[in-house]
Amino acid sequence: MVNLSRRTALGAGASLLGITAIPRFAIGQADNRPTITVAVQKVVNSNTLDVLREQSNVGERVFFTSLWEPLISKEWLGNLSPRPGLATEWKRIDDQTVELKLRQGVKFHNGEEMTAEDVVFTFSRERMFGNSEAKNRTTLKAFEKIPTPRPGKELPPEIIAVARRAWPDLLRVEAVDKYTVRFFNATPDVTLEGRLARYGSDIMSRKGWEDAASYLDWARKPITTGPYKVVEFRPDNMLVLEAHDEYWGGRPPIKRIRFIEVPEVPSRIAGLLSGQYQFACDIPPDQISQIEKNAAFEVQGGTILNHRLITFDKNHAQLQNPLVRRAFTHAIDRQAIVDSLWAGRTKVPAGLQWEYYGDMFHADWRVPEYNPKLAQDLLKQAGYKGDPIPYRLLNNYYTNQNATAQILIEMWRTVGLNVEINSKENWTQIMERGSQRAVRDWSNSAPFSDPVSSIVNQHGPNGQQQQIGEWTNAEMNQLCEVLETSTDRAKRRLAFRRMLEICEREDPAYTVLHQNATFTAKPKSLKWQASPAFAMDFRPGNYV
Amino acid sequence: MGRFIILRVGRALITIALVVTFAFIVLRLSGDPAQIILGPEAPPEVLAAFRRAWGLDDPIWLQYLHYFGAIAQGELGRSMRDGRSAIEIVAERIPITLALTVPALVLKLGIGIPAGVYAALHRGSLTDRIVMIVSVAGFTIPSFVLGLTLVLVFAVQLGWLPSGGQDSWRHAILPILTLGIGGAAILARFTRSAMLEVLGQPFIRAASAKGVPWQDVITRHALPNAAIPTVTIIGFMVGTLIAGAVVVESVFSWPGVGRLLVVAVANRDLAVVQCILLLVAATMVISNLIVDFLYGFLDPRLRSAKGQKAAGGQP
Repeated sequence: MVNLSRRTALGAGASLLGITAIPRFAIGQADNRPTITVAVQKVVNSNTLDVLREQSNVGERVFFTSLWEPLISKEWLGNLSPRPGLATEWKRIDDQTVELKLRQGVKFHNGEEMTAEDVVFTFSRERMFGNSEAKNRTTLKAFEKIPTPRPGKELPPEIIAVARRAWPDLLRVEAVDKYTVRFFNATPDVTLEGRLARYGSDIMSRKGWEDAASYLDWARKPITTGPYKVVEFRPDNMLVLEAHDEYWGGRPPIKRIRFIEVPEVPSRIAGLLSGQYQFACDIPPDQISQIEKNAAFEVQGGTILNHRLITFDKNHAQLQNPLVRRAFTHAIDRQAIVDSLWAGRTKVPAGLQWEYYGDMFHADWRVPEYNPKLAQDLLKQAGYKGDPIPYRLLNNYYTNQNATAQILIEMWRTVGLNVEINSKENWTQIMERGSQRAVRDWSNSAPFSDPVSSIVNQHGPNGQQQQIGEWTNAEMNQLCEVLETSTDRAKRRLAFRRMLEICEREDPAYTVLHQNATFTAKPKSLKWQASPAFAMDFRPGNYV
Repeated sequence: MGRFIILRVGRALITIALVVTFAFIVLRLSGDPAQIILGPEAPPEVLAAFRRAWGLDDPIWLQYLHYFGAIAQGELGRSMRDGRSAIEIVAERIPITLALTVPALVLKLGIGIPAGVYAALHRGSLTDRIVMIVSVAGFTIPSFVLGLTLVLVFAVQLGWLPSGGQDSWRHAILPILTLGIGGAAILARFTRSAMLEVLGQPFIRAASAKGVPWQDVITRHALPNAAIPTVTIIGFMVGTLIAGAVVVESVFSWPGVGRLLVVAVANRDLAVVQCILLLVAATMVISNLIVDFLYGFLDPRLRSAKGQKAAGGQP
């Protein structure tokens, strides 16, 4: 019989407690990852975290790569070229069908494994398309009955429109097996892979959707696969993300990320300098040198997938003659704007295109050269008599917008163009039809790596510029169809070249000023690299 | 008294209806919420879907009728940004704003009134001049300049306090100081002027001549009579408790009603803007009403029209 004294019993008890307690304590202590605060001008505009509802630059920053992930990802810290995401490989079955093999062992934030069923649901009518139809479909198949949304889960109507704009001809997505899916398009389309990588094609958990009480509940805390999960979201105030330790790409390097809304630039900078924030985003270019005077801080960032444009209303009395619009384009010293207002930290791109277009990129294309003499000659040929041309202007919606406008006015005045600023308060007033609409500011993004995503999307027949009646061109519209439906890459490339010639030279719809850029300030001691996009990458390997 | 209250409340309701109507017209005529909320690059069909969903395609008079009809039934509408009830959105911001504005009001009263009284009682002295210089500086410096200066000193240079946010009570100190200093300066000047005016009145001289102790002259005769203009200002300050911190909330990233108002106006989020305006108008009207009643309490001569008339001939 064991003789158990009081002292031995207490000692044994203490040892047992120690055995059970020490590992927990050790695990608790081992998580010495930092909590960081990122000061941003705006967390999201729509007060939701749904990639289809929040289609904005600020949304891109908090979504990618922390929260949402697509099947085909981008090289976020490189040239944004495609790379495997939640799919490890993909192949074409035919011109209308793509098959993807899913990454195995991917866990959603709720602990469930991602399977083909989740991918099919992500692209379902219940989540994306509602009662909309693919543009070119002619029959309604019996197995694709339109489901009646459950109460509270009705989609906001703009989501359906956004989804259809992103996937105009997608018929259906099918699960071949647990880890294989096929995307069926109604028409041949070479951009399917690009569309799979675009903002909005990111995968969500079906169970996460079903468990949520309402659309809004889900949209405030979507269950996705990213390295960080939502723990708190206070609209117009802050978003707190926490490490998702089962992340397929490894253990996230940060315990918590707090994106906090600090609308004023001086307040963001003051918070950074005082150590309250580790990152201050949306730093205007004129503040960069001021921040970097302090040797402990640096400003990172640069160009993003967005170009600043000036657009023309060819119906305005003075702009009907394309020679006048051409004069506008040749009167602008774009490099001077980049050097003086952007501290040289962005660039004048090769027209409305981006290098990540790959073989569709025309490296030899240039924006119209700065040539005041040519501009004067063009005006003379056009018989322009100096009649006023209104320039509708918003108050610094874009970075440096007012200063750029003032410089442009002077450059145009130098060649003889009498452009008058007409200040407006919002976009409705800017785009309002009428005899006083002539010149305005705009920007153009490339959500995926093909010109369909930019020049067709905004300047084509279904793009906003034509829809609001500013500009149209019959040849351009035919070429848009070629670009959208042809699978002949050489023919598409030629078509795009011709579109650039029409829109930027012969019958200018717009002229590109410069590539847009975003800047983030941080302590030098933090080893982190900004991507050439609004997205902030805090995945394993990019934060020490 | 009953008629007085009915008249006052009726007038208040008309004021609120006018504010709401004016705001509706201005906001709806100056911008399309769909274009503003969805951004300049939003495709046409997305904009159309949004407009259809929120009835923005209807003629403006019909939208107004719908809106007013809903208000009559106690429904203030939903935010076009996320579909939540406007009342719910505004209600969750009110305590956050009051956490700044109520302590700031206490600070204004606690500093402004004693400083004003003291300066008046020591008119022409060095202290009076210092109080007035500080006071002039206090209310002429814009709140965003004062706020940022405080941030530079106490957050960036000294590192004592956070520069912004709403994580703890320490985050509230600088915004409360910013709000409080400006308001205290205004109160100090008003209190001083009112006191000086009362101190020059014959009844003060009479009370002193009768041998009433100076302290009693001040507390029983001067202060109650000087309270009328000061109470008017305090009433105004109480009226701005809900949305009077727009600039300070922006500078200090304080997520209160003021910042909500800025965001809602910028987005033409009509239901939210209207809800805030209703609240602000109601607060202002109620505080004015209370001030009117306080006048009667503080000055018996104002309690009735007859009293007012009688008081008209007296100093």
